Amino acid sequence: MIEISNLTKIYKLSKKQMREQKTKKSIKKAVDNVSLSAKKGELYGLLGPNGAGKTTTLRCVATLLRPTDGAIKVCGNDTIKYPEKVRESIAFLTNEIKLDPQFTPKYMFNFFGKLHGMDDKTINERRELLFKQFGIFDFQDKKIEELSTGMKQKASIAVSLVHDPEVVIFDEPTNGLDIVTARSVTDYLKVLREQGKVVIVSTHIMSEAEKLCDRVGIIINGKKVAEGTIPELLVQTGTKDLEDAFFELYKEYNQEEA
Amino acid sequence: MNGVKYIVKKELTRVFTDKKLVFSLFILPVIIMVGLYSLIGRLQSAMIDDIEKHVPSVYIQNIPEGFKDVMAAAGFNGNIANLEMNADVTEIKNGILKGTTDLLVVFEIDFLNKISNYGSEGGIPEVKTYYNSSEQYSSAVRNSFVAEVLSVYQQQLLAERFGDLSQLTVFNIDVDPESSIIVDEDKAAGKLIGTMLPYFITLMLFAGAMSLGVDAITGEKERGTIASMLLTPLNRRDIVLGKLLSLSLLSVLSAAVYAVSMIVSMPNILKQLTDGNLNNLSMKFSTEQIIQLFVVMITLVYLYVALVSLVAVLSKTAKEANTYISPMYIAVIVAGMITMFTGSGEIPIERFAIPVYGSALSIQQILSGELTMVQFGAAIGGTLALSVILTFFITKAFNSEKVMFNA
Repeated sequence: MIEISNLTKIYKLSKKQMREQKTKKSIKKAVDNVSLSAKKGELYGLLGPNGAGKTTTLRCVATLLRPTDGAIKVCGNDTIKYPEKVRESIAFLTNEIKLDPQFTPKYMFNFFGKLHGMDDKTINERRELLFKQFGIFDFQDKKIEELSTGMKQKASIAVSLVHDPEVVIFDEPTNGLDIVTARSVTDYLKVLREQGKVVIVSTHIMSEAEKLCDRVGIIINGKKVAEGTIPELLVQTGTKDLEDAFFELYKEYNQEEA
Repeated sequence: MNGVKYIVKKELTRVFTDKKLVFSLFILPVIIMVGLYSLIGRLQSAMIDDIEKHVPSVYIQNIPEGFKDVMAAAGFNGNIANLEMNADVTEIKNGILKGTTDLLVVFEIDFLNKISNYGSEGGIPEVKTYYNSSEQYSSAVRNSFVAEVLSVYQQQLLAERFGDLSQLTVFNIDVDPESSIIVDEDKAAGKLIGTMLPYFITLMLFAGAMSLGVDAITGEKERGTIASMLLTPLNRRDIVLGKLLSLSLLSVLSAAVYAVSMIVSMPNILKQLTDGNLNNLSMKFSTEQIIQLFVVMITLVYLYVALVSLVAVLSKTAKEANTYISPMYIAVIVAGMITMFTGSGEIPIERFAIPVYGSALSIQQILSGELTMVQFGAAIGGTLALSVILTFFITKAFNSEKVMFNA
């Protein structure tokens, strides 16, 4: 169970960053008063264009960033008060966080298993299961730097799930993957949902979200502008598919900001 | 604390499975130390051989009667040319300046007569040598000519004048010079090594910490791999400790390799420093000294690692980190160099508490067996205090999203 209440995240910009982003404001509201929740056995999709605040929101959930305002609870634990407890119960996958290229997928899997306080027997069982699921056995002893993008992503996913967490947060998990690998990832997300996990996925691929997600939240310019099941959103916007629905909302809310 | 253990293990595995790192940390030092110093030694002995083989070219003006026999008896050979009284020596002096001629010896006119008529008329005659002090051949020829020929000639003429030369000696000073030196040989050897070693040890420990620390922290930040560790339930302090301990261990190992290869090539280095006048360099350490040395070095290396790590964690790129660490490296070199020139006077206790400098001082004092427990305590205390403060700030940096994620 994840509960985000009134999350706001403000970045202070340095002079250089202000120049780069061509703004005269010295602060940037990356996330603006966002509330949402995801339950057990639910696959929640966080949709939005690049820079909308999806990754920032998810990083706040993963305790990597501190909310400027508002609160987040993961399985009942506050991310500020009990960050270690929160980290115990989540898997967090994002593009910028990588596995050490010097090591093999097998070594990394065991290493993170140990850091999660697991014993050798449990680690081996989990490895058998996950490596089989993602077909990692073929390259489990190759250095990660020698792997292809798809292999790396599979290894990252397996490693992030080593401790069988209650909450799974994947930030654009199919980014840069070919159609076959992408499918194996989305299929496994469904498996996780069936196992009763809380799954949150961020994406900007609408067709993927349409097929996958039970509920979606749409974030534009740091604000949550819509939330609901796919049919609800289609009715709300009077459109036929999620992509059209998204663009209706984008037109409406991006103008407001400008 | 288990987390610390796994991180240390992983960091060590990372280094030892990377051939390039193993080479630069543990193999290159050996090649550099042993190779460089044996090369210097070989070049120097080659140079000495060369000088010995050189055939001197010497001009002698107004050569006295019988001087040729003195040269022959002394075994002084070479191209020796005699010059008449009125000969022009300008060309010869030019030759000395250019290095084609080694030596010009000018005896005063009427040299032997002036010596035998000593006291009745005139003063003491002069032998003047012209040579080029910047030319190795010329200097060497001049030195051996003065020592082997002229001095002998001088003694010979003195003996002719006085008969028994012992009449000229009123008393002797130190007939047996060896027995008049009262010195603790261990301490003397320690003093000699003590001037060099603190400098090298502080330097080598820092060099190891520097190359490893930037890669292990800034490098991991750049590659985005450190964040994966921040996602584990581990306390950030444990991650910092794991990093710092593994870096310390590796720096010590690298420094040990340096030290061992230095000791192996030490005879070569010392021969050059002391012109081969080296009798007893065996050093004996008491258990207490060894423990003190060990503790000083371990605390020092942790301090270095912490210093480097703090800079590394605050830097956005490895390039930036290296830019900031270079001046620190120079400061460490300077601190080590100051100890090389520290006098033997009483050193104020506060100086031992100055991190880095105090440790270098302590190593020096341990090697000469003069470190008191109070000084030892001050050095360790100063180093530890700064280390704890640095570790605190590194942990703070690891907890900072601005530092870790540039947010």
